[in-house]
Amino acid sequence: MPKTQTSFPSSLPQATSSSSTPASSVFNLEVLDSLTDSDIQRLLHAYSAFCSSTDSLLLLSGIPSASPSPSLEFADSVHVLCSHRLRSFVVDHFLRSLQDAFEGNCSSKFWRSFEAYRDFPPLEDRSPSIDEASLEQLLCEALDEISAKKQHQEQCLSVLVSALESCDDQVLEGKHDFDTESKLLFSKYQLMVHSVLLASLPRHFYDILHWYFKRRLEEISAMMDDDCSGKDSMDLDESAVFSLESGDMDIDGEQRGKSLDGRWVTNIGKVVRDLRSLGFLSMTEDAYASAIFMLLNAKVNELAGDDFRCSILGAIKRWIQAVPLQLLHSLHSYLGDTPSYDTTSNVKSPLSSKSFSCYPGDRPLSQGIIIWKLRLEYFAYEVVQDLRIDKLFEIIVDYPESSPAIEDLKQCLEYTGQHSKLVQSFISSLRYRLLTAGASTNDILHQYVSTIKALRTIDRTGIFLEEVGEPIREYLRGRKDTIKCIVTMLTDGASGSANGSVNAGDSLLEELNRDEEGQEKADLEDGFNSDDKQAWASAMCWEPDPAEADPLKGSRNQRKVDILGMIVGIIGSKDQLVNEYRVILAEKLLNKTDYDIDPDIRTLELLKIHFGEGIMQKCEIMLNDLIDSKRTNSNIRASMNKASQPSVALENAEISSDVVDATIISSNFWPPIQDEEFNVPEPVDRMLTEYASRYTEVKTPRKLLWKKTVGTVKLELQFNDREIQLTVTPMQAAIIMQFQDQKSWSSKDLATAIGVPVDVLDRRINFWISKGILAESVEPKSSERAYTILEAAADAGTSGVNNDSGEEFVAGDEEEDGTVASVEDQLRKEMTVYEKYITGMLRNFGRMTLERIHNTLKMFCIADPIYDKSPHQLQLFLSGLISEEKLELTGEVYSLRKQDG
Amino acid sequence: MKVKVLSILFPRNTGAGHFWWHAVASWTWDAQDETCGICRMAFDGCCPDCKLPGDDCPLIWGACNHAFHLHCILKWVTSQTSQAHCPMCRREWQFKE
Repeated sequence: MPKTQTSFPSSLPQATSSSSTPASSVFNLEVLDSLTDSDIQRLLHAYSAFCSSTDSLLLLSGIPSASPSPSLEFADSVHVLCSHRLRSFVVDHFLRSLQDAFEGNCSSKFWRSFEAYRDFPPLEDRSPSIDEASLEQLLCEALDEISAKKQHQEQCLSVLVSALESCDDQVLEGKHDFDTESKLLFSKYQLMVHSVLLASLPRHFYDILHWYFKRRLEEISAMMDDDCSGKDSMDLDESAVFSLESGDMDIDGEQRGKSLDGRWVTNIGKVVRDLRSLGFLSMTEDAYASAIFMLLNAKVNELAGDDFRCSILGAIKRWIQAVPLQLLHSLHSYLGDTPSYDTTSNVKSPLSSKSFSCYPGDRPLSQGIIIWKLRLEYFAYEVVQDLRIDKLFEIIVDYPESSPAIEDLKQCLEYTGQHSKLVQSFISSLRYRLLTAGASTNDILHQYVSTIKALRTIDRTGIFLEEVGEPIREYLRGRKDTIKCIVTMLTDGASGSANGSVNAGDSLLEELNRDEEGQEKADLEDGFNSDDKQAWASAMCWEPDPAEADPLKGSRNQRKVDILGMIVGIIGSKDQLVNEYRVILAEKLLNKTDYDIDPDIRTLELLKIHFGEGIMQKCEIMLNDLIDSKRTNSNIRASMNKASQPSVALENAEISSDVVDATIISSNFWPPIQDEEFNVPEPVDRMLTEYASRYTEVKTPRKLLWKKTVGTVKLELQFNDREIQLTVTPMQAAIIMQFQDQKSWSSKDLATAIGVPVDVLDRRINFWISKGILAESVEPKSSERAYTILEAAADAGTSGVNNDSGEEFVAGDEEEDGTVASVEDQLRKEMTVYEKYITGMLRNFGRMTLERIHNTLKMFCIADPIYDKSPHQLQLFLSGLISEEKLELTGEVYSLRKQDG
Repeated sequence: MKVKVLSILFPRNTGAGHFWWHAVASWTWDAQDETCGICRMAFDGCCPDCKLPGDDCPLIWGACNHAFHLHCILKWVTSQTSQAHCPMCRREWQFKE
C-alpha cells in the first residue's frame, strides 16, 4: 500500500534528531562528566546513526512484504550507545518511535476506515440499510492491514532486541536475563499498541464488532437449523443434560455431521485473532458475548411463544449446544488454545464463571467452554423463567394442557431459585386479572384449583403455594356464593357454573378420590413406621424445608398439599361447607324421580373420609331415606296394585295406581323445606291419600305428611295436533290440569281452585305462558287477568316447543328459589332469637361495634339457645336488620334506628 | 277456529314403568308428643345410640299411652331393679299390645 507513505509524518526524523542532544545531556548527567570529547563525538555520531536507522527501519512498516533487515549501522550504533550505558535510552527512544509511527500511520488510518459508519445504529434497532457485505469486508481488511503493520513493527522490535542481545554478549556478559527483558519489551509494545488504539477508540467500533458477531451467529444458527430440523429432539436433550451434569463436553459428538465450514471458521477466527493481538481481547469477548446473549434471548423468545403445550428447554439447550457453543469451540480451536481436559477445578461453581481471565492462553479450552455453556444455560433458564412467570396466569388457565410449560418453569426455578419473583408477579397478576368483581366465583375457584395443582408440581412443599393462595382465599371469603360454588364443584361441577366446566368439577371429585388413596397409603406407612428400618429410612430421606418457609407454619409434613383442605381453608370451617352441601344435596335428592343415588353415595363416602363421619351424619340419613323410599315405594305400589286391580281398573281407566311415587324423608334431618299449601288435583289427591294410608299400614304407627309443592311431575299434554311431554313441579301440574275441563280461567277463579294467593299463581303460571301453552289476556272491564289454553301449535307460535320440551328437564325453579331453604334463610331464622338481645343491648349501650355485639352475645347467651354463630354470620344478620330499618350502621358502629315521632 | 279437547293423561300404558307424579312426603311417628321423655330427642329423630331414624329406632308405647324410643325405654326398664315404671307417669310399665 504505497499511499501510506504519503501520510507518514515527515517531520518525525528531524524532530527527534534535533531534540536528541539536549535529551541525552539531561538524562545522563553523571556520565557526561567522565566523557572525553572523542567519546562525545562517538556518541553523537552513534546516536544520529541510531535515529536515522530507526527511522528507516520503521519507514518500511508501510510495506507489509518488506521484512526489516538489521543493518550493520543500526547494530553498531546500538552497541556504542549501550556501551555508554545508554541502553534504556535506546529502548525508550525506539519504543517512542514505534509509538509515533503506530499512532501516525496505523491506528488513525484504522479508525478512519470506520469513519463511514460513524452513525452506526446502536445494538438493537439495526436498519437493514447498511451494506453488510462491504462493512464486513472493510472490517476484515482493516484488521488485516493493521495487524500486518503491527507484525512489522514487532519484527522491528525484534531487530532491536537482537541488536541489544549482541551487545549484551559483548559488553555485559551474563549480566542480564535477556529473555525476561525481551519479553518485557514486547509486552511494553503490546501495551503501547493497545493504549494507542483505546485512546482513539471511536464509540461505534464496539457496535460494529457486536454486529459482526451477531451476523456470524445468525449464519451459524441458520446453518444449524437446516441441519437440525430432522433430528430427534429427545435424544439430544438427554445428552445435553448428561453432558452438563458430568462436566464432560459432548461438543465433538455434537459436531459430527454438521461441522462448521473451515473457511468460515478461518474468517471469523482471523478477525478474532487480529482483534486480540490489537489488545481488544475483552472488547471482542464482550462483543460476542453480548451478541450471543442477544441472539439467545431472541431465540428463547421465539421458541417460547404463547404455546404452553410443549417443553422448550430441550430445544433451547440444543440450540445453545449447536450454535454459540459450536462457534466458541471452533474459535478456540482455531486460535489454537490448547485443549486441556483438566475440567474438574472450576466447573462446580457455575455462578462464579462470569469472569474471564484477561490473557489468552491462561484458559484451558474445555473449561472455558464449559463455563460458557453454564453461563448460557443459566441465562436461558433465567429468560425462560421470566417469560413463563410473566405468562403464568395464562399457563395456569389452561393448566392440564400447559403442564410442559410448568415443567419448564420448574426446571428453570431449580437453577435460578427465584421463586419469590414468581410469587410476587403471580400475585399481582391474580389481583389484576382474577380477583375482580367481573370474575365469577366459579372461575376463580377453578383457577385456584389449577393454581394449586400447577404450583404443586413446581414446589412440592407448598410454601409458595401458600403465599400465592392467600390472596385468592382472602378474596373468596368475601364472596357470598363461594361455599355454594365449592359444593357444586364437589358434587357435580356441571350445574353450578354458567359455562358448565365439567372438568374442574370432575377433577375435584377426583381429588377426593386421590386423597382417599393417599390417606390409605399414609396409614399403611404409619403402620410400618414402627419398624426400625423403615423409620431409619424415612429419617434418612428427611430434607430441610426451603429457606423461604415460614417456621410458624409448621414443618412440611403438616403442610401436605391437599386441594380439598385448601378449598375448605377458604371457608374456614367444614361445618359451613357441610351445611351447604346438605342443602344442595337435598335439592338434588328431592328432584330425583328414579331413586338413583349411587354417585351421591360415592361422593358422600369420600366426604366422610375427609371430614369425618359425625359431621356427615345427616347427609347419610338423607341418602338412606332415598334408599328406604325406594323399597317402601315398591312395597306400597305392589300392595296398591294388588288391591286396586279388580275394581279401579274399571272405575278409572285412565288413572292407574302407579301414577304416584314418593320420596319419604326424615324431615328432622333434612334442611327445612319450603312448603306452600295448595290443592292437588282431585284424582292425584285421592291417590296420595291412598298412598299415605298404605304407608301407615306398612309402617304403623308412622304416617305421612305430604310436602305438596315439592316433587316432580312428568306429564303429557295431548292436543289434537301434537303431544307435549313435560317435566314440571306439582304446582305447575295442578295449574295446567285445571284447564283440562275448562279452557279459560280468570286468575282469581283459578287461584281459588288451586288454593293459592293470586300473586303466587301469577308467578307460577308464567311457566306455561312462556311455554306457549297458555295465553294471558287482560279483560278491559274488570282489568282482571284471564288465562286461556292455546290449542294449536300455530296459536302458540312457537313451533320449536314440540321438539325441545320433550327431553328438556324443566325443574320449574326458574322463578322459584328452590324447594329447600337456603343456608341464609336458615341462618336468618336461627338468628331471630337473638334479635331481642341485640336490640336490648343497643338500647342500653347505645352504640356498639360488631365485635362487641358478638362478644356480648357469646357471654350472655350461654343457656338455650346457645350463641354459636361466627362474627361473619352475625354481620349478615345485622345487615338484614339494617335493611329492615331496625338498626343503623355508622362507620363500624351499630346503633338502634331512631323511631320517628 | 275449532277448539279441541285437551286431555292430560296419566300413563297411557301402565306397564312402561313411568312414574308420573313423584311426590315428596315426610314421615312422622303418630305420637302425641314431640320428643322422647327419656332422651329428650325428637321422636322423628333417633335415640342417642342410633344413627338412623325410622325403622332402626322405633317407638314403643306403654300401656299408659306414653311413647318412648324403644332403645330408651328398654334401657330404662333393664336398669330398674324391681318393677319398672313409666318415666312420665310413674305407672307400672307395660308394653302396649
